[in-house]
Amino acid sequence: MATVETNAAPIPEAKSFAPERPKMGVVFWTSVSWILLVIAAAVLADLLPLRDPDALGIRTGEIQRFESPGVNAWFGGDGQGRDLFAQIVHGARPAMVLSAAVTLIGGSLGVLIGVVAGYVRGRTDAVIMGIAEIMFAFPAIVLLFAVGAIWGITMAILIPVMAVLAVPSYARIVRGVTIAVAERDFVDAARAMGASQSRVVIKELLPLVALPAIAFGFLGFGLVIATEGALAFLGLGLEQRTWGSLIAGGQGLIREAPHLALIPATAMFLTIMAFNYVGDGVRELIDPRPIVVGRKRRADGPRPTTASASDALLSIRDLRTSFPTPGGVVTAVDGVSLDVRTGRTLGVVGESGSGKTMLLRSITGAFPVVGVQREGRVVVDGTDLLSASPASRSAMLGNEIGVISQNPLSALNPVRTVGSQLVEVMRVHRAISKAAARARAIELLEQVGIPRPGRRVDMYPHQLSGGMQQRVTIAIALANEPRLLLADEPTTALDVTIQDQILRLLASLGDEYNMAVVLVTHDLSVVRGWADDVAVMYGGQIVESGPTSAVFGDPQHRYTQALLESTPRLDLPIHSRLAAIEGQPPSLVAPPAGCRFADRCAGADERCRSEVPVLERLGSVEFRCWHPGQGEAR
Amino acid sequence: MAGTGSAHLRTGDDIVLRVRDLVVEFPAGKGQVVHAVSGVSVDVAQGETLGVVGESGCGKTTLGRAVMRLQDARSGSVEFRDHELTGLEGSELARKRRDMQMIFQDPVSSLNPRRRVRDLVREGLEIWGSQPGPFTDARVEEIMEAVGLGGEGVGERRPHEFSGGQCQRICIARALVMDPEVLILDEPVSALDVSVQAQILNLLEDLKADFGLTMVFVSHDLAVVRNVSDRVMVMYLGKVCEVADTQPLFDTPAHPYTRALLASIPGHELGLSDASTLISGELPSPIEPPSGCRFRTRCPLATNRCAVEEPELREVAVGQFVACHYA
Ligand SMILES: Nc1ncnc2c1ncn2[C@@H]1O[C@H](COP(=O)(O)OP(=O)(O)OP(=O)(O)O)[C@@H](O)[C@H]1O
Ligand code: SF4
Ligand code: SF4
Ligand SMILES: [Mg+2]
Repeated sequence: MATVETNAAPIPEAKSFAPERPKMGVVFWTSVSWILLVIAAAVLADLLPLRDPDALGIRTGEIQRFESPGVNAWFGGDGQGRDLFAQIVHGARPAMVLSAAVTLIGGSLGVLIGVVAGYVRGRTDAVIMGIAEIMFAFPAIVLLFAVGAIWGITMAILIPVMAVLAVPSYARIVRGVTIAVAERDFVDAARAMGASQSRVVIKELLPLVALPAIAFGFLGFGLVIATEGALAFLGLGLEQRTWGSLIAGGQGLIREAPHLALIPATAMFLTIMAFNYVGDGVRELIDPRPIVVGRKRRADGPRPTTASASDALLSIRDLRTSFPTPGGVVTAVDGVSLDVRTGRTLGVVGESGSGKTMLLRSITGAFPVVGVQREGRVVVDGTDLLSASPASRSAMLGNEIGVISQNPLSALNPVRTVGSQLVEVMRVHRAISKAAARARAIELLEQVGIPRPGRRVDMYPHQLSGGMQQRVTIAIALANEPRLLLADEPTTALDVTIQDQILRLLASLGDEYNMAVVLVTHDLSVVRGWADDVAVMYGGQIVESGPTSAVFGDPQHRYTQALLESTPRLDLPIHSRLAAIEGQPPSLVAPPAGCRFADRCAGADERCRSEVPVLERLGSVEFRCWHPGQGEAR
Repeated sequence: MAGTGSAHLRTGDDIVLRVRDLVVEFPAGKGQVVHAVSGVSVDVAQGETLGVVGESGCGKTTLGRAVMRLQDARSGSVEFRDHELTGLEGSELARKRRDMQMIFQDPVSSLNPRRRVRDLVREGLEIWGSQPGPFTDARVEEIMEAVGLGGEGVGERRPHEFSGGQCQRICIARALVMDPEVLILDEPVSALDVSVQAQILNLLEDLKADFGLTMVFVSHDLAVVRNVSDRVMVMYLGKVCEVADTQPLFDTPAHPYTRALLASIPGHELGLSDASTLISGELPSPIEPPSGCRFRTRCPLATNRCAVEEPELREVAVGQFVACHYA
């Protein structure tokens, strides 16, 4: 083995897309403040300069019978002139003690049981969850009635009973999280290193389930407060003065003195809401997803549609697609122009994050993020999709333009048969009878190589293998005989031999239907084998394009060269050292000033760093590089 | 015993890992079982890299996991340096297999997101009772340096601050800290971009030389396997089709399935006919695998004999073993 160089790849700064903690809104912080206030009331009730909650105002003359809220007594007085404000402050304590005890005891037990059930699975899990189910089915209020009838309702009784009742909910939630987490490889990795079961549970799993459990704990806390209120209402209250007992006491007087029931009810309601909001807030911390899934299209100003100058079916000019993220505005496609003629396949290659998929989505306008802005022109068959009316655009999608995505299963509706999905696309776009559409559906399935299409047409997607599912999505894309086919990593999720079949199928269908095809892939060998032309993307731009054989045979741009050299080749000796591209792709928020590849390019000089390379042409190949063609041709 | 044979097993002191007739099955409900690995035998010599290739679901991952005993085998044996691992439990197992470590396909999900890089890399030492201190710190530092993760403050960061390639370096560091003899890598570069793949592949080759590692490299990517492996095993539906040194396997593939796999590499220049003439249809269900030769439902050469008689591995050229009646 040759000299061993330690890998000198610089460690990048924290990625700009690193998920950020979501900012908590006003509601969250108001809720937190309210909870703190209630806790303070519960703890400090005795120390606060309040009236004695039991002092009878009608005797002392301080507060009138049923006095309304006002300056003298903020929340008014009850039938004996007792100060309602003082009563509410003192009433906060039992509710807080009860809820805290129930949540802590029930929660910890539930978390422990849930983690074990979710990690050990099998018999233990089945038994635990069986018991939990039974407990769920048992009406808690009836149990509390029974308990109350036998032992009376005291804190000492209520806390354990309610804690036990809370255990299954925590266990169920934590078990779900644990199962999801335990399937991740790091659990296996820990076991492979020799970690014991208990270590896996404590060190690997508990920290990850803690946050969801705490989030749920807040909701549970609110629930206990509500339950106590309900019990008091039913005459099963604690002997202490609680909000529940205040509401219960005031309800009969709702005519004469509405404040007696309404004020404690409001206090309770606000507290429960506050716990719910905080719980929701904590849950958001768990899995920050800065990008909201949804669909929003840009409002279009009226712009004339210009027929494309060339004979290209798809013609993109100066396309710029950007969207806001927490780290700043990302320009995922930055000044892309390309043409695809009928009957040709254009392969778009690049690293992840280079903007390939966004380029395709910019054609259809279907984005997984909101707030996307598109500029430039995307002309398909003479219609500019960016300025066309929404109606004419959707008339083209699924009709003149067919789309195939990477993951066939997610592209298909799991609860509808293959046939009904095929029939639907046809009937949306043209007048065709159901029977005729079904006949055509079977024909299409046959055409995409699905054996026994007459039977398969009535199957659900999950009954088909991955390769078959991808064939079905191809059939759907082809249903209306599109002129343009957009395929995003159509074979990445499939096996090599199936991949070969699907690409072969796409190629022959492309010929048969005389389509223009755009094939997005990260796999250079797929492009090499199946695309007539190639466009190499880097940092949101096309850095080199042209006929595949020309580009791959004599790459001009340094990035294309580096990409080709970094893949293992079948014609080199085994154990050949690969020419890795060190470093990271550029930020799309603040891209480098000159050539975007300059930071990783061996041939970069001052000019590369400061000046954007101009578009050059060599034969049929176009590229943007100041020092082209100096790599080894292959 | 209906294995695919063990003619290819070698004898000698330099055999580090020897798997014999390994069978792994998963329950599939209604009393059915998934035949994930059905009687696989293979060995790996000191300092060698064994590549394992085959389509998704052929049992590559299961084989690796069963060797690590992350998965219980139904029958068969796994010997590590003449120590039988099957049947061992608990701490004894942990002690014996300490010398084998595994790297997983998805580097991001292999790292506990809540922990810092330094703690992740140190974890193995901790599990084995090393107290945090200058010795452990130095060792962790050294390994992080070796995988290209040296530098101020790197250890204090958490996994989400790193790219996929960097995460895979962390995983490799975590395994290496244990000073293993054997590294089992399950699709270690499949989740990475081509440019990053090259970095990690180069790194693995360097580490192999530096640390004297023996590797089992599982992948569906033939070009990658070809570049890193000394010997290659081709699997299909839980069975071994062909085992040979890398060069002959790629130059003169003998099993019809190996030929089909090679032919489906787009743009290959191996002088084989089109993949579509070498293979057709889809992978059969591993719940009811075909009788006889499991490849027969897709094999262009299949005859009646293939349906009734299971082919055994036999030597067709020096060091090249093939399980096919007509190879
Ligand atoms: N935990 C499991 N339970 C049930 N079946 C399983 C389980 N793990 C694997 N299998 C099945 O065992 C067979 C072999 O799977 P395995 O993951 O080993 O294949 P593989 O060659 O690694 O595939 P890939 O290339 O997709 O990683 C498959 O049919 C798979 O569905
Ligand atoms: S322009 Fe300069 S930095 Fe960019 S690829 Fe060409 S040589 Fe490299
Ligand atoms: S044994 Fe028969 S079916 Fe199997 S690979 Fe050989 S020829 Fe094909
Ligand atoms: Mg696998």
